[in-house]
Amino acid sequence: MRETYAAPLPGMNLAELTGKLIVIEGTDGVGRSTQIRLLRPWLEQQGRAVLDTALKRSALAGKGIQQAQEGHTLGRITLSLFYATDFADRLEHEIVPALRAGFVVLTDRYIYSLMARAIMRGADPRWIRNAYGFALKPDATFYLRIGVDDLIPRVVFSRGFDYWESGMDIHPSEDMYDSFRKYQTELLTEFERLAKEYNFEVIDATPDAHTVFEHLRAGVAQVLSGEPREPLFSVATPAGGTSEAAGKRVLEMPAPAKPAAPAAGESEPAPQALTSAAEGDANR
Amino acid sequence: MKRYGEHRFPGKLFVVEGIDGSGKSTQLALLHQWLQAEGYGVVFSEWNSSPLVRETTKRGKKKHMLTPPTFSLIHATDFADRMEHNIIPLLKAGAVVLCDRYIYTAFARDVVRGMDPLWVRELYSFAVKPTAAFYFRVPLDVAMKRILDGRSGVKFYEAGMDLSLSEDPQESFRIFQGRILDEYEKMVPEFDLTTVDATLSIEEQQTYMRQTVKAKLAQAKRLRVAP
Repeated sequence: MRETYAAPLPGMNLAELTGKLIVIEGTDGVGRSTQIRLLRPWLEQQGRAVLDTALKRSALAGKGIQQAQEGHTLGRITLSLFYATDFADRLEHEIVPALRAGFVVLTDRYIYSLMARAIMRGADPRWIRNAYGFALKPDATFYLRIGVDDLIPRVVFSRGFDYWESGMDIHPSEDMYDSFRKYQTELLTEFERLAKEYNFEVIDATPDAHTVFEHLRAGVAQVLSGEPREPLFSVATPAGGTSEAAGKRVLEMPAPAKPAAPAAGESEPAPQALTSAAEGDANR
Repeated sequence: MKRYGEHRFPGKLFVVEGIDGSGKSTQLALLHQWLQAEGYGVVFSEWNSSPLVRETTKRGKKKHMLTPPTFSLIHATDFADRMEHNIIPLLKAGAVVLCDRYIYTAFARDVVRGMDPLWVRELYSFAVKPTAAFYFRVPLDVAMKRILDGRSGVKFYEAGMDLSLSEDPQESFRIFQGRILDEYEKMVPEFDLTTVDATLSIEEQQTYMRQTVKAKLAQAKRLRVAP
């Protein structure tokens, strides 16, 4: 049966969600939307009903985020929560109804991109994982992997550097190229961590779109066959990472570093975590 | 990212909480006047007032698009914008910040709407812990009478009409506010809220509030602010 990472949303019957949820993840410019444009007709030819969705497409919050981003005045926590609002609206009004109706849902990015971006901007990993705790676990996440050196020419010769995707809010003193390189290098490292943690199926996105599609199609076909399966593509890392994370999906992260001790002479009470204060509360 | 209880700022943060009709806004306005007269740099911030999020919230409420999670998240977005752009910089600058409603409003409303209590608490864990949080305790009937006497009607989400508690807005409002009251009562010990008996006279409540605030301001510096 379908699962969520933490408490599901009120009134959501997970047993009804019989469709398939397939996530395409990857950084900006890697070719996710091209792949979804190829996947959709291929699935429809086989008689599968398809819904595709992407960030900022919610009726509720999509426009609001767009406008707020144009002003470049969004705080980092504010931006994360605005995206979470957009995600929740699409989950309830698009993804869940489609899954209930037995659709194949193709989603261009999912909570993983949003978590990676938030963590890059200093969010506490515990906090952002909690915020998306109600998200449905997908049937598969295909991660289009690319190195920054292969990524840059694609971005330059297609749409050019984007303010947010270049991390200009983080490195405002750099030019777009330097900032993009630095930001994307760190972001790709974060994606690799998430790939292990959440069992992404990794697809090499450096070849041409058609070759990538052949691999992706094989992976999707396997997911839809409904048979128990082994991940098609390993999540091997150049460093030869262990396979301890394989087979399980974990939400928890190691606790972040302890905050600095308060300055001497402070009379405020000791730090208190909201959640620990709430533990044992009878209102759960 | 600092968490609740970990912030250390020279400014002071006072917040008022309670169900609609508890008289908290009246009391906060009187406190505001007094602090200004005393020479403090005082800034006021109201729940659900971020210009960045306004259009989205308005659309969601007008078209009844909001569900428990989106209601919760859009209010958290609004709060985050005020926290990042307003409240934290002001506290760093040594101001006295007054908030009409704070995270406890979200904890009460969102939990009544069915969201997980721990989820909501963690969602707002970036909030600054107030210097004091006043909770205006009032019996439901008293609050209901104050609200319904003074207004032509209650709004859809205000009455909790999205929860299908009752077809009758007034009855829905009563059930919804009753449940919110229960959540507030649970939070009094959890967050060490300073309880004010909101059935006392306005003057008596204000005297108590000023005494409490004065004790907390002992070491705060006074700012010279333009009138």
